[in-house]
Amino acid sequence: MNASRDRVARQGAQLHPDQSRPASTTGPASTTVRAVRLGWSLALWLCLFAFGASAAPAPEAIAEPVGDALDIDRAEASADRHACLRCHAMSTLAYRDPDDGEIVDLSIDREGLAHSVHGELACIDCHRRSYRRYPHPNRPAPGDLDCIGCHEDDDHDLSRGWIDIDAEFKRSVHAVSDAPEALGFSCHSCHDPHRFRPAVVGEPIARIVRNHNEVCLSCHMQLVGPSSTSHDWLPNRDAHWTSVRCVDCHTPVAVFAHHEILPAEDSEQNCVSCHSADPQLLARLYQFRSEEDIARRGLLAKAVFNEAYVVGMSKSPALDRLSLVIMGLMVLLLAAHGLGRYLARRANRRA
Amino acid sequence: MTSLYLYPAWLRLWHWINALLFLALIASGVSMHYAGADWLMPFATARVVHNTAGILLTIAWIGFVVTNARSENARHYRVRFRTLIGDLIAQTRYYMIGIFRLEPHPFHVTEAMKFNTLQQLSYLGVMYGLMPILLISGWAFLYSVYLPETLFGLGSVWVVAMTHVVVSYLLALFLLVHMYIITTGETVFSNLRAMITGWHRETDPPRPETPASAPRETP
Repeated sequence: MNASRDRVARQGAQLHPDQSRPASTTGPASTTVRAVRLGWSLALWLCLFAFGASAAPAPEAIAEPVGDALDIDRAEASADRHACLRCHAMSTLAYRDPDDGEIVDLSIDREGLAHSVHGELACIDCHRRSYRRYPHPNRPAPGDLDCIGCHEDDDHDLSRGWIDIDAEFKRSVHAVSDAPEALGFSCHSCHDPHRFRPAVVGEPIARIVRNHNEVCLSCHMQLVGPSSTSHDWLPNRDAHWTSVRCVDCHTPVAVFAHHEILPAEDSEQNCVSCHSADPQLLARLYQFRSEEDIARRGLLAKAVFNEAYVVGMSKSPALDRLSLVIMGLMVLLLAAHGLGRYLARRANRRA
Repeated sequence: MTSLYLYPAWLRLWHWINALLFLALIASGVSMHYAGADWLMPFATARVVHNTAGILLTIAWIGFVVTNARSENARHYRVRFRTLIGDLIAQTRYYMIGIFRLEPHPFHVTEAMKFNTLQQLSYLGVMYGLMPILLISGWAFLYSVYLPETLFGLGSVWVVAMTHVVVSYLLALFLLVHMYIITTGETVFSNLRAMITGWHRETDPPRPETPASAPRETP
């Protein structure tokens, strides 16, 4: 199937359902473990041959009642997924890459796929060409598995176009780094297309932050380990980690470019970028929360209950100080004026 | 004692509703702006109070503009440009000097004109200048997602937020001065009483400027 997917050393465990991509594990396995895995791999290859010969759509899948063209498309896509998942839903489906000896995970989590943004597509919508037949080729054909290839025309669904995202990604540290871990980095390295589901306006922010950060932590888990000294400079480090997305600081603050991941040394360390009188990030958060509010409550109820307020949004220390000084002086002036009037009247009465 | 019926019921009702809404908006606005202090309104309460009072203030403002335009009250807002400079100087001189010498007020309230020039300019500025800016910026704050990303080259949310805050401070300043100025009537409470009963009372007989402005007796 998708041989360009991240290669992971399987340890026989299921992936956590919330993980956006499988956590990579490294390190030499013992000879016994390797032998067991090899045995499993051979057994699975045999299974593949057996299933491949009868990879026709399941009768119940194609027997779905359909009313119009859309239903027919959905039924066909469902039948296609069903056929592929007969093998790929097996959690142990994998093979050993003959070049480097690494186990290549070929399993797809059925539930994860169903809930993903691609959950209603037919597998061959992305895995085109020779993936229609079995056995599949070892490598994807050029142009297969290309996000932009499919998505470049549907940028109306996004606040920015896919072309912008592509350009941002090409400037990202993941794309320009010479580090061996960054070799072959692609959209799929972070966004597992079989699980990926973008944040939806209306979801609790805490969940959005957690889901976003899990994508980063699937590779960078060591940064948040108990003995990690990473981000030590950050006051209330743990509070930041649960309330702020990694990309909020690790992408350029001045522009909205969440796919241009910056190297650590160029990332935002200036507290006043968020906690300041010119709070670009607070404004961005306010706009997001406003959209969320409207989606959840509706236009009219939002006017009363608006939960989008971000404390500090409308604060300018200089303006506040100036205004309070003017108000204070005005109070003094009016008090003095009133006192003057009182004294003038009293003097008049005495006279 | 002569009396002028200057404040009809709808105007007094509107005035006192406005006053209550202003107080609610200031209390809740300050509570949100300086959130965190113990003596302030709880944030969640302040949010709903501020939004509700803002909606009611919008309705009250539209009601005022429409009713004022359709009633005789509009005449009090017509600026007399011919005598504007002289009136302004006389009024300012009175508040700065004459009031301490117990001089008579340079402006005499009539049915044709109940506001002196300073009052006229400040009420015009507040009702047709600051208030619409305050209300529009408040609504723009609520529905900022429909604004362009930038206004005048600056982030639109920031522009809206700063406009709202600046106008709020200016209106709070107006309220402060307004509350003091009403004590400068014949007695400290005579202007306040007039806005409650509708009748402006004067011990000294006013000098009639036109036959139409002649005062009538209190019923």
